[in-house]
Order: sequence, then structure tokens, then C-alpha cells
Amino acid sequence: MAQVDRRTVLKAGAALAGSALATPAILTYGRGESPVKLGMVDPLTGVYAAVALSEVAGAKVAVEDINKKGGILGREVELLVEDSANNVGTGVQKARKLIDRDRVNCVIGDVNSAIALAMAGVTSEKGVLHIVSGGHTDAVTGKDCHWNVFRVCNTTTMDVNGIADTVIEKLGKKWYFLTPDYAYGHSVQDAFIRKLKAAGGEYAGDLVPLGTADYSAHLIKAKAYNPDVLINVMGGGDQVNSLKQFVGFGLNHQMAVSGTLFELESLRAVPPEALIGWWTMEWWWDQPDNPHVKVFVDKMRKATGHTPSARNWFGYTSVWTFALVANHAKSLEGVKLAHALEGFKLPPEVALQPGTPYYRPGDHELMSTMFAGEAHPAKGNPDNMFTVHSLVPGEKAAGPVAETGCTIHWS
Amino acid sequence: MTPTIDRSKYVTLGVIWLLLLTMPYWLPMVGGYMALGTRVVIMGLAAMSLNFLLGFTGVLSFGHAAFFGLGAYGTGLALKYFTHSTPLALVLGVLLGGIAGAVLGALIVRRRGVYFAMVTIAFGQVFYFIAFRWNSLTGGDDGLRGFERQPIDFGVWQADILHRPILFYYFVLLLFAIGTGAMGFLLRSPFGRTLLAIRENERRARFLGVPIEQHIWLSFSLSCFFVALAGGMYALLNNFADPTMLNYTQSGEIVIMIVLGGIRSFWGPLIGAAIFVVLQDYLSSLTTNWMSFLGTIFVLMVLFFPRGVLGLNWTEMFRSVLGRSRQTRPQEGGNLS
Repeated sequence: MAQVDRRTVLKAGAALAGSALATPAILTYGRGESPVKLGMVDPLTGVYAAVALSEVAGAKVAVEDINKKGGILGREVELLVEDSANNVGTGVQKARKLIDRDRVNCVIGDVNSAIALAMAGVTSEKGVLHIVSGGHTDAVTGKDCHWNVFRVCNTTTMDVNGIADTVIEKLGKKWYFLTPDYAYGHSVQDAFIRKLKAAGGEYAGDLVPLGTADYSAHLIKAKAYNPDVLINVMGGGDQVNSLKQFVGFGLNHQMAVSGTLFELESLRAVPPEALIGWWTMEWWWDQPDNPHVKVFVDKMRKATGHTPSARNWFGYTSVWTFALVANHAKSLEGVKLAHALEGFKLPPEVALQPGTPYYRPGDHELMSTMFAGEAHPAKGNPDNMFTVHSLVPGEKAAGPVAETGCTIHWS
Repeated sequence: MTPTIDRSKYVTLGVIWLLLLTMPYWLPMVGGYMALGTRVVIMGLAAMSLNFLLGFTGVLSFGHAAFFGLGAYGTGLALKYFTHSTPLALVLGVLLGGIAGAVLGALIVRRRGVYFAMVTIAFGQVFYFIAFRWNSLTGGDDGLRGFERQPIDFGVWQADILHRPILFYYFVLLLFAIGTGAMGFLLRSPFGRTLLAIRENERRARFLGVPIEQHIWLSFSLSCFFVALAGGMYALLNNFADPTMLNYTQSGEIVIMIVLGGIRSFWGPLIGAAIFVVLQDYLSSLTTNWMSFLGTIFVLMVLFFPRGVLGLNWTEMFRSVLGRSRQTRPQEGGNLS
């Protein structure tokens, strides 16, 4: 008879342990009353990590809220977060993972517009509701819009229109552009120029390569042109460097500076001397007249230790949008939810802003109010680095649907 | 060459192909999904293509992502503008990436070592910036979209690779088989043996009258054709192409896959790609620090197993483990009794 030695026993033990580890994956299928699953794909690593993590934090608070208030269709809500690593292939793969394997009923993401566009291809094919929380490129609700894709954050054109009128009105009509030389920069500059031409202004400008460290040559040209406003379209580290050098050259005594976005995450990251200029906030926490905002700010501060940013609100609103519309339509089916979301109005405790934002039927863009104002070193509260000067309604900034280039094809 | 080594080669081959062919059946049971398996096979082909140059000719290119990406953009653009035939689009993508590689290869074959690697990075970045900046054609930073892989028509039967992930997987696997088969065939030919000779001792090969530059150029070009095939399939997998596919960081990932799997082994890069892609997928769902884990694993591999997973001599290891156990067994038994 063959002897059973110690090694065989060990091997058998290892095999048993291995199979025990593998079985939960099999058993998770086929349970009865499972939670409603919500998938979120965001670049948690890479250059957008800070803003992506803010969106996730907001989404988590929303999930807690929803579960406290009875969940979706009486079922608990579960949020699955996946890292797209700021890479399109990974983002698309994670979207497929969430839909094919985890059977999510809604996909949220991505901060990176290219990934959002690529994911939209997957979600529309699979018939799953897709809420783009923070990818700004016009195409998402423009040329490349889909029947199942809705967007919470603004389009780049909206961000421009949100600030342009304020700049023309308060600062002047002679502009000098500092624009990063790639698709995003070009489209922002074009949108600014359209507004300026309509108002009868004049402009000049420089296209600056991404990652430029030394702006002296561009700033000297700007000084010579002597504009009313320097329109700074640079993003991230480039924005910070150019602003610091702008102040260093003393140009802030000669002209104003403005641009589209200067997010709270960025405001926190720059030295006080670079806290300057006129910008659009897509959402701002300091709304003393709105009691719902105070509740949200307290909730976020408790959860993260920080005052909420627009990104927190994007994540929060994206998750709530799905919960509200699913409970309203009494369904989790993509097509039904998408139809129900067209024209859907957000209640004040989710909208957290003046006015009633709604998802516009023609292009699925959320018509939310923009906060145009001025950045400054913190006053009192460390997050009080921005003062709102005017509120711009979403419809006004977005322009008519016909101009977006979006035609929705229902499948 | 002892027969045991040949047998172990056949065993490896058999196990790999058995696993690949049955993947759709066992993958969901271990928590995987079709898109993940397809990505492993595609990245595996990309890594094996680069290893044709790196492992078997001894020349390191750090710009292969450019040709990977060109294959992807070529396929995507062809599907978007010229044709509804997926195979034809792939052929056009492969030609774009391959020919670009052949032309550039001719310019740089005289460089060696780190200089060669640096020039390939530079050329790779040239293509990256073209894709990044040429908005009207490539969609710039937003990526190339607006194309979908099309069903393949066989007349009597239509393979709907768009809506049936399993069919797309087997389509990819078929092309993978053709690609790796061609590479294996080339490496067994006198040409392939000459490449090995160049890798082992370039000067001696030159003295023997081997036209070194010509061989390195051919090896570089072939490797670009194969990596472009992988890139084309990657574009079909995502129905999307974006500039980061051409970036040097993507080249770096492919090199990491090769080193993980085994630089001197034919199938090693496939194993490396599987480890990299699966670990990335799994770890990044658990923690945002997944890169640290992946990096640690890479460092440990390089320090302790510089020849990668398949570079280890498994037969020798088994034999030595078994041999030792046979020797120790009586002793153990003695202790126990």
C-alpha cells in the first residue's frame, strides 16, 4: 500500500486552503436579495488623484445617506470603487469588470475626459446608466453624447461662459491669453474669444507648451501688450507656476488675471501669493442663505476633516442622482432610468445651490449654477479663499442644445 | 540537449495552450472576466514582441509603445474612415506601426546599449506628441473614438465579435497564435540563431561575417510589426485609442512584464503580462497604493530571480527538492518513530 507521507498531507492542505479562498468568488452569484450595486471608476492614482479622491469621498457620504434613508427600492446600496490609474485601457477594463462581473446598476466616472468618453462606449453598449461626475470635455454631452450618459460637472464651454461676462463687465475687454498648447487649451481659448468678439473686445496671446517652468518670455510680451486682463488657461502645476511668476513680475499691479477653473483642491495646494485672480467655481461651500448646504458641509467635514469642494459635491450628487431616479422610476433598468432622468430636477438637499438644477433632455448635461468670483489668501477660515461675485445659471452658460452638436440616439 | 529538456518544453507549451484555450470556462470561476483575459493575451503578445528584440537579439528599445500605439491608431482610423472590415483595419494598423518601425529602425541600428534605448524613447515621444496634438485627426488628449470593431463575415456565418466577448477572445487568441507561431518559427530558423549569436557576442558575430546592422534592423522591424498587431487588437478591445498608449511609460510597463516573466524565455513575457495585468486589476481594487506593491514585487524579482518566473529552471528545482526529500525521508521517519 502506498504510504501517505507528510509532504502529500501538506500539499492536500494547501490545495484545500486554496479552494476555500476561491469559493467565495463562486458563491457570491445567485444570492437572493442582494444590495443595489453602484460602480465608480476614477483615477485614484496619477495626476488627478486629489480631485478623484474628493469625488469618491463625496460619493461615500451619499451612499451612507441613502442607506440611512431606506436605500434604493428598499434595498441597501453598495458602492464599488475602482482605480482607472489615469489610463484609458484600465478605465475601460474596470468599467467592464463592474458591469460584467459585479453586475452594477450604474457606473460613475471618470475625472479624465478621455476615459469618460471611452467608458461611455462600454456603458451604452451594455445598457447601463452612466453618470460622468467630473470629466469636463465638451464632447461627453456634445458630439459624442450617448443615450445613457448624464453629466454632473460642467462642460468646458460652460466654465468659460460662467466667467467671461463677469470679466468683460468688471475687468475690461482687452485680453492677453496664456494658453496650454493642446486640445483643451485651444477649445477654452476659442470659447473665450467668441464671447469677447460678441462684446467687441481685442486680444493677443501665447500658446505655451505643457509643463513649461519659466513664463518670463510670455509675461514680458503680455506686459508690452498691456491688456486689462491676462486670461490664464494653464492647468495644475503650470497654473500655479505662471501665477507665482505673474505676481513675482509685479504684473498684478498692472492687469487683472482670470481663467476658468481654480478648484479648491488647487487653492489649498498653492502658496498664498498665488491666490489671485477671477475664476469659476462649479460649486462653492460658502452659501450662508442655504440651510441644506450647511448640513452637507458639516457632514463632509465630519467624514473627511475638510471643507467640501466642488469635487465632493460631484461625487455626492452623482450617487444621489442614481438613487433618486431609481426610486422615482421604480426600476434599475438603464433605458427606463435614462428616460426618467431627462428633465429630472434635483431636490434642494441634493442640489445644494440657488435655483433648481435639472438634467437637460437634449444633451443630458446638468444645468447647475456657476459661482464666478475672486481668489484671495484665506480670510478667517482656512478654506475661505474665494469670494463669489456673481451667480450664472446653467442654461445661460450652456447655450442652446443645438450648439452642443449632440443628438441622442436611443438604442 | 537531453530529451528531458525537450519534454519539459512540450509540457510548458501544452499547459500554456490548454490554459489559454479553456480560459473562458475557468476564468469566471476564479473571479475573473472576459475583458481581463483578453487584455492578458494582448499585452502578452506585446511583451513577447518586444522580447523578440530584447531577449533574443539583446537590444533594448524603450519606445515600443509608439509602435503599439501606431497599430492602435492605424486600426482605429481605418475603421473610422475607410472600412467596415475588422481584419482589413488590423492589417492597415499593423502596416502603419510596422513600417514606421522599419523606417526609424534604419536610422538607429548603429546605436548600441543605452544610446539605442534613448533614441527609441525620443522617437517614441515624437509619435506620442503627434497623437496628442493632432486634434483634427487623432482627437488629441480626448483620444480617438467613434469606431467599433465590426462583426467578421464568413459568408455562411457571422462572428459577432462586438457583442460576444468570448468570440472576440478567440479572435484575439487566433491572432496571438499566428503572431507567436511566426516568432517561434523565425527564432528556430538560421536567422533566429544568428540573432542569438549577435546577442551573445556581437564582435565575434561580426568577425564571422554576419551583417550585424541588417540583422538588428530586421529584428527591430519584425518586433515592431508584432507589437503593432498587439496595439491594433488593444484598440479593438477598448473601441478606443488614446495618446498615453504611445507614451514611454507604456513602453516601461511592457519592459517590466518581460523582466517579471523571464527575459531569456520565449513564453516568459506572456506569464509576466498575466502577472502584471491581473495583479494590477486585483490590487488596484483593494488599495490606491497598488503601485507600491507591484513595484516591490518587481524589485524582489530583479534582486532574487533576475531571469524571471520562466527563467527559473523549474525541472532542476523540482528535481533538487525531490532529491533532497528522498534523502531526508528516512531521517524524518526515524525521528517520527
